[in-house]
Order: sequence, then C-alpha cells, then structure tokens
Amino acid sequence: MGRELREVVYVDGVRTVFGRAGEDGYFWRTRADDMAVKVVRELLRRNPELPPERIDDVVLAATAQVGDQGLTLGRDVALLAGLPQSVPGFAVDRMCAGALTATTAGAGEIAMGAADVVLVGGVEHMGHHPMGDDVDFNPRFVSERIVDDSAAVMGQTAENLHDAFPSLTREDADAFAVASQQKAARAWDEGVMDELVVRMAVFTDDGWTVTERDQFLRPETNLEGLATLRTPFRTAGRVTAGNSAGLTDGATAALLVSEDAADELALEPRMRLVSFAYAGVQPELMGLGPVPATKRALAQAGLAVGDVGLFELNEPFAVQVLTWCEGMGIAADDPRLNPYGGAIACGHPLAATGVRLMAQLAHGFREQPDVRYGLTALCIGLGMGAAIVWENTQNGG
Amino acid sequence: MASNATLFKLQAVSTKVGRIALATMDNGEDWQKPNTFGEAALRSLEALLDRVEADDCAGLLLTGKPFVFAVGADIDEFGEITPERAREGGQAGHALFGRIRALPFPTLAAINGAALGGGVEIALHCDYRTISADVRHFACPEVLLGLIPGWGGTQLIPRLVGAEQAVRFVVENPLRQNRMLNAPQAFAAGFADALLEPVEFLDESLAVLVRTIEEGGGKREPAADLSDLEEVVRKARSRIDDQVHGAAPAPYRALDLIAGAGSWTIEEGYKAEENALAELLPGPQAQASVYSFYLVERRAKRGIGVPDTAPRRVSKVGVVGAGLMARQLALLFLRRLEVPVVLRDISQEQVDDAIAWVRSELEELVAKSRLAEAKARFLGSLVSGSTDWQVFSGCDLVLEAVFEELELKKAVFAEVEQVVGPETVLATNTSSLSVTALGSGLEHPERLVGMHFFNPVAVLPLVELVRTPETDDESLATAWAVTRKLRKTGVLVRDAPGFVVNRLLGRQGSVVTTALDHGNTVEETDEAVLRLGVPMAPSFLLQFVGPKVANHVRHTLHDAWPDRFPLSPSLESIAEGGDPVIVEHAPRSVEELHEAVLEALADEVRHILEEGVVDDAADVDTCLILGAGYPFWLGGITKRLDQTGVSERVTGRLLSQIGARVTT
Repeated sequence: MGRELREVVYVDGVRTVFGRAGEDGYFWRTRADDMAVKVVRELLRRNPELPPERIDDVVLAATAQVGDQGLTLGRDVALLAGLPQSVPGFAVDRMCAGALTATTAGAGEIAMGAADVVLVGGVEHMGHHPMGDDVDFNPRFVSERIVDDSAAVMGQTAENLHDAFPSLTREDADAFAVASQQKAARAWDEGVMDELVVRMAVFTDDGWTVTERDQFLRPETNLEGLATLRTPFRTAGRVTAGNSAGLTDGATAALLVSEDAADELALEPRMRLVSFAYAGVQPELMGLGPVPATKRALAQAGLAVGDVGLFELNEPFAVQVLTWCEGMGIAADDPRLNPYGGAIACGHPLAATGVRLMAQLAHGFREQPDVRYGLTALCIGLGMGAAIVWENTQNGG
Repeated sequence: MASNATLFKLQAVSTKVGRIALATMDNGEDWQKPNTFGEAALRSLEALLDRVEADDCAGLLLTGKPFVFAVGADIDEFGEITPERAREGGQAGHALFGRIRALPFPTLAAINGAALGGGVEIALHCDYRTISADVRHFACPEVLLGLIPGWGGTQLIPRLVGAEQAVRFVVENPLRQNRMLNAPQAFAAGFADALLEPVEFLDESLAVLVRTIEEGGGKREPAADLSDLEEVVRKARSRIDDQVHGAAPAPYRALDLIAGAGSWTIEEGYKAEENALAELLPGPQAQASVYSFYLVERRAKRGIGVPDTAPRRVSKVGVVGAGLMARQLALLFLRRLEVPVVLRDISQEQVDDAIAWVRSELEELVAKSRLAEAKARFLGSLVSGSTDWQVFSGCDLVLEAVFEELELKKAVFAEVEQVVGPETVLATNTSSLSVTALGSGLEHPERLVGMHFFNPVAVLPLVELVRTPETDDESLATAWAVTRKLRKTGVLVRDAPGFVVNRLLGRQGSVVTTALDHGNTVEETDEAVLRLGVPMAPSFLLQFVGPKVANHVRHTLHDAWPDRFPLSPSLESIAEGGDPVIVEHAPRSVEELHEAVLEALADEVRHILEEGVVDDAADVDTCLILGAGYPFWLGGITKRLDQTGVSERVTGRLLSQIGARVTT
C-alpha cells in the first residue's frame, strides 16, 4: 500500500512594499487583511493561467492573530479577495517563520496528494499589533526559570549573541548593515524589486497615496553614521536601529503547485522544494536557530553547504546573520548571501518575511541559471530556526 | 452639528506616463460624516488647483475618503442666505470646477462612494470617470430641496448622458422619493466610463487613467446627441405639472436650464445657473426644504422626548385582527423583527386568509430576489393564528388593529389581558380614538401605548407613538425601540383625538366637505388642496382611506371640537355610497378655498401646540412629511404658513413660536 510523495514547486511570489510600523507608516490606516488581499489578487493577476477555483487551500500566517489579522486569515482573505466560496483557507503562526511554515504546510498538503494548488503567505501589521501586545506570558516562565527574562525581547537576544560570540563586534554588524542597504538600493535601482513588489493605493491622513518603495531604505547609510546610533537594548550594547530590521508592516503571498498541476495548467515552475527543517535552541539565543535547521535540511537532502549557490537569510539583526555565517563557515560578504539585501534594509514584517526570501531566491535562480540549490532560512522567537532547501528549475533542465 | 471642513489633499504618484496628481477629498471623519463642500472646502480646492496648475503633471485623479466621494454643498450654509451670497456661491463653484475642466492634462474622477449634488458635479468636470461597483448613492437631489444642481450639473449632465437621462436624473428622480442610482445604474446611464470592483478600486482607477494617457486619450468634451432635447423637456414639463401643480418652482427651473444646454455655451449655462440659484436658494421653497431635510434626516432620528430607559425584549408579537391593516402589520413585524407573529380574529377563515396573504407576500419578495427562499420559508413558518385568545399567551407585544370602535377595542384588550403577563406591552393602532379611554378598563393601563401606522404601511415611514398620562417609561421605550427596528420613524405625541396627522388632514377635509355642502365641485376642492403641492387630491385620499372610515374619524373629531369639525351631509352621503348633498348653494372660488384650507391648517396647528399634543411645530411638520407625504418645499406646513403670513393673520404670531419646546 505504499504511495509516492508528489513533488512541490514554487511558481511565483509577490509582496507589498514594506512600510514603517506606526502612525507615520504607509499602512497605518490600511487593514492587514486588505494588504493580504492585495498580494493574493496580484498573484492571480500575474498568473492568469490559474483558474481560481483550482486553488485547493489558502494558508496565511500572522503572529498576532487578533483584530484585522484575527479572522482565520486564509479564509478571511480568500473571501475578501473574491476567490470562489469553494476555496478553503486557514491561519498559521510560527512567529517570524510564519510564511515559511505556511509554505511547508501547503507543501505537505500537495505532497500527500490532498491538494494540487495552494496559496501561501503571511501578513504582519506591526503598527496595529506591536510584538507581544496581546500576549499573556505564563508566570512559570519566570518562576521556574524556564527561559531567561531576556528571551521575550528580541533585541536583548541579539545582545546575548554578541556576548556569546565576542569576536562579532558592533563594527562587524554595522558593516553588514551598510552592505545590506547598498545591495537593496541596487536591487531597487536595477528593477529587481519591481518584479517582486506590488504597489498599493493606501489611504493616509494626507489623502490617498500609492506605496512605491520600502519605507526603511537608507541607501546613504555609512559606517560613520551608524557608529553614532544609541543602543536601546542595553547601555554600552551593540545592537542599534541601524544594524537591525525596523518594526514593519507588510504582506506576502506565493503560489505552490504539484509538479503535475504545473504541467497541466502551464504554470512555469521556478524552483522545487527539496527539504525543510525546523529546530529548537535556547530561547535567549533564538538567533542561533537557523544553524541547526540549515544543517538538518541539508542532511535530509544529502547536500553539503558548499553545494548551495544562493542563501536568502532573514536579517532581524546583523549579528544574527553573522552567527549563522560563523556556524556554517560562510563569509559575511559572500556574494551568495542575500544578493538583493535583506531585512535591515527593507524591514521584517514577522510572519510575512518567509515568502519575501523565497521570491528573492527564485529571482536569483533566474539570474544565475547555473546555480542548482538555494536556501531560505530564518530565526524564530522562543528559540527556533527554520530552513528550506530549494532546487533551481529555471536552468532549462 | 458642524463637522470638520472637507479638505482637498494632494499627493503625487510616479507612473510610466509621468507624475499623476492624486487629489483626495477628506474631512478627517469616518464615513458617517460625509465630505461636503462648504466655504473652507472651496478654499482648499483653490489652493490645490494653484499647486496643480503650476506642476508638470501628466494627469490628475480625484477621489474621496474611504466609502464617500462627496455629498455636495454644505446645507448648513444655506439658511437665511441672501441672493448675493447664493450667486457668489454659484460663481465660486463654477470658477473652481471650471479650472479643473481647463487643466491641460487628462483628469479622472474615481467615484469611490456616495456622490450627491456637488459631488456629482465636480466629477462631471473631469474628463473621465470610474465608479466603484458598491456605490449606492449617486444622485442630484437638489430639486427635492427646492434647488437646481447649480455647479454645472444642469449643463454638463445633458451633454454627457442626453436629454432623456438628464431629465430623469435631475428632475424626476428627486421627486420620486429622492430616488438615487447605484453604481451599475449610473454606469448604464452613461455617467461613468468604467464600472470597477471595489476591492482594488483606486489602483484600478489609476491604471485606467495611465492607460488612457498612454493610448493618447486626452481632454474630452461631452457631446451627447441633444436633437430630442426640446421634445423631451416639453413632455417632462407636463408630467411635472401633474405632480406639483406649479406649486414649486425648482423642477420647472431645472427643466429650463436643461433645455438651455442645447444652445448655450458652458459659460452662458453657468451664468443661467447662477441666476437660478440667486432666486431659488433664498426663496421660500428652498428654505423650507432645507428645514424639512434637517427634520427628517437629523431631528427625527434623535427620538425627542423618548425616555432613556432600557426597552423590554420583544420575542413574540400578537396582532389582533386579520383585516387589511392587521395583515400588513403582521408582515412588517415578521420581516423586521423575525420573531413569531400570531394573529387572532373571530373567523378562522379570515385568519387563514391573512396568513396565506402574508406568505404570498413573502413569496413575492423571493420572486423579486429581495428575500432568500429559505429565509422566506422560515419566516412563513413563524406566522400563525387562531380564533382563540390563548394564542397571545407569551407575547411581549400585542397590537390591535380592529375596527375603530371604542367598546370593541376595550373588549379586545380585556380579553388579551387575561392571557398575557403584566409586562406585555399593549399597543393600539387607533387613528382617532382616545388611547386613554381605551385603557380605562385595564388592570395595567401603564403598559398601553398608541402605535399609529399609516397606510400603505410599506410606504409611509411615520408611526405616531401615543403616550397616555399613565403610560410608563419602559413601555414607551419598548414601542420606540420596536419602531426603530421596523425601520420606521416614531414621533412622540400626547393622547388627543386624531393625534397630529389625522387631525390636520381632518381639518383640511372639513373645509373641503363644507365646500361640497355649499355647491363647490369635487374638481374645485381637489384643485384648492393640490395647489399646496401635496401628492394626493382630497377626493383620492377619501377613496383610499374609505369614505366610511373618514366619516367615522370626522365624528370622533366632531365630538371633541364640534365647531372646527362640523358634520357634513355630503360626507355622510358619500359614506353611504351616495353623492355630495348641497345644503345651500354658495360656492367659493378655488382661490378662496385654497386660502381657507391654509387658514384652517394654521388654526389647527395652533390648537395642537397650545394643547401640548406635541411641543414643537417641528414635530407637526415631521408628521406631515413622513405620515402624509407632504413635500419638502412646504416645510411640513408650518414653515410655509409662517413664510406666507397666514400664521400671523390667523393666530397673531408665528407657529414656530408656539409650543413648550421651541426649536430655534
């Protein structure tokens, strides 16, 4: 009674412009679910071959599943986006790896034969839902010292990483941040982002406007400027607003299909899902999570890190990426790493970020058809890591 | 009352055809307080135009805040206006809207929500229009307010959509209970170039503008075929005659202006609109209309005098009777409250017939796609009836709608009180009997209220809520809450024969029947009343109510005030199926009769106010507008009576100055 797993391919992905969380952000007066609706509709618009009734599930992630992110997002957004009523949906949460988890959950449905086509993605309106806002921390965490106090504040976990890796200095982190800004600026200037980002009309106190570019971009950033910034998480600390991702509003969505469905519907597979893994680490050192996750995902695929030609890592904090580099033996300025910049430049809307990484990886695969494998990875609050290994299918093979 | 001024906010967006100016109309409030164009808004538009004209834009997109485009001029600035100010207001709009029209690049109005009056007109000054499919209010209601669309509407609308559509939109719809177009209708009529889904409306509207510019679509002049203009306007004029009988100048003036659009330049048309505004806006009809609008849209919704007490829960309703009124009420309760409704009458046959009628009405709604079939089936299962009084057991509200006879109604309530709990609200739909007298035999008279509905129940929004000296706050609050749920407008009145509407219509009727008794013809008496501009001739009203009922009401009113409500041999005869009876041949001219009607009304309103049936002339006017269909431009009736000097001639003062709670 054995049955074969089915291959899962990524067809397309898109995101909103990322905005600053708060009253001066693009999306302050825009609902989170409307942002998700926008990317879902854009995905359908870009893939007219896909009949909407063929979508078998809509899996959307959010960390704060309350308010405008609270109504079983996958279904809520499917209905608001005008998908047929026959299309179901659900919501997932694994904090920063929300969209990545939506992806592996959807991939699981496809691999099992339960679905042919799944929309996945995430949204986080951190302006409407500041981190931890509606969370009631169990007092046992403290009384039984289950986690260190600092585990609840992500900036403090980043300071902890500097403590644990004394060789990683603030200057290293700042240098990484400057590079991220420069790479992002180049990607925008060269039109890379125009393919990955959809503009959206948003209502603001100053009238309707159209979001054109990520709000956090600071292409003029330099080391001298960064050196002057204060360290909000600790006196004489190392983590600053300049070497971390800002609090962000954004939404993403991607289209996953079975290999057979891609053939049938004439959808071009951009990459194939090879393997994925999640891993747990000490909560107060949550930034270390991607190292064991990457190792496990590579091991499942029988690959070595040297087989991977492109890495799309989230950048909540520069030091977090640097610890991964150290753990995996990759140089911080390796050209395979985040070639279009990362969250330090564009922002990190928690549960939405995973699909941004995938979309950038798929774009990198197209620009470099000879690269065979790529990796998307993130660290996750409460001490976890997530990684997916992808295979380039845009190499004519 | 004054909300924040609407501002024109300017943003720019870069596109492949260049920079597009994005103008948003926004008063900073939520959708419940729509954008309006007052003086501050026009100044803001002027500032925006100064900037846009100096900019090298490729195009301009104009839209509103979420759910609202703009609902036109700020009515709060209309009161007590001089002709000069009215003319200046017209000129200011023309100058600014004209500048939008003259911008050197293509412009598009993205109509994202309610667009009324000046909101429609500003959109017409753009080259292109998109409309969101969820827009439900697209109209020029000015004629209803005794005005004309005076910011280019009368000139641009015919040029855009042709004579037939323009006449319907500008003149006839406002007079048909202020009918408005929804987005698909506005699109079909030619008001918009594209009907777009709401979900990404602004993005898609912007895309339409960019594509238009890309494809070389530039400035545009509306140029509908107006060869049938004269003919269409001529026919419309005769239809308007039948409806308003020359009593209101605005519809005629609007037709003149539309007719002029066939030959005038836009500038000549603007000038003609300004002349019309200077005459109409300070004029009595427009001033009265603005007053009426305030009464109906704002004041009546506040529930003046309703006690601030929590209403009781109503989860089962009883209706006594199965006649014409009873079954209409049963249907209304069923549809709006969605609770079990029980009917009771003396014959099971009649009860069954009423239930069958209610269910067939529900089926009709299903056939018209106004009710889902499954829901109709459920509602149909909630209505039942019997000849047994026990059916009212468990009811929270029992409303009687049996024949207008005091003893009969008292007997009904005595029976009902045997089977219901002490807190069940008892309501009577009596149109003229004393509610206090009806409650005299009750064990618990404090739970009795009058709920006087008007026929046809589905059309007329008024319910006179009658409180007796004994009615308690909770019962009254419950009746008010139920009235709101029925989507009707309640006006609180004290118990007195005929309350407000039937007393005034009865007084008007007594002038008419006295004239018939003295040899005037039905045509003459009809004309004397129709000159007011009311929708129904008295002869028609008599047949509609039923001559027997009308005579019964007359007797009730006569018993209370024999001098002012004389019994009429003609009415007695007509009630028995005969003809008018001439007692003495002394007919009066139509003009004299018309004056007599006005004076009688002024006199009766004075009595109503002095007795405290209501405390404010505004309540009288609200009742006449909502319960008798009196047109806005009469201001109910007291505004007209005060404006024309009739009040002072008859009562020595203005009616607005009588009463315990005078609105200033």
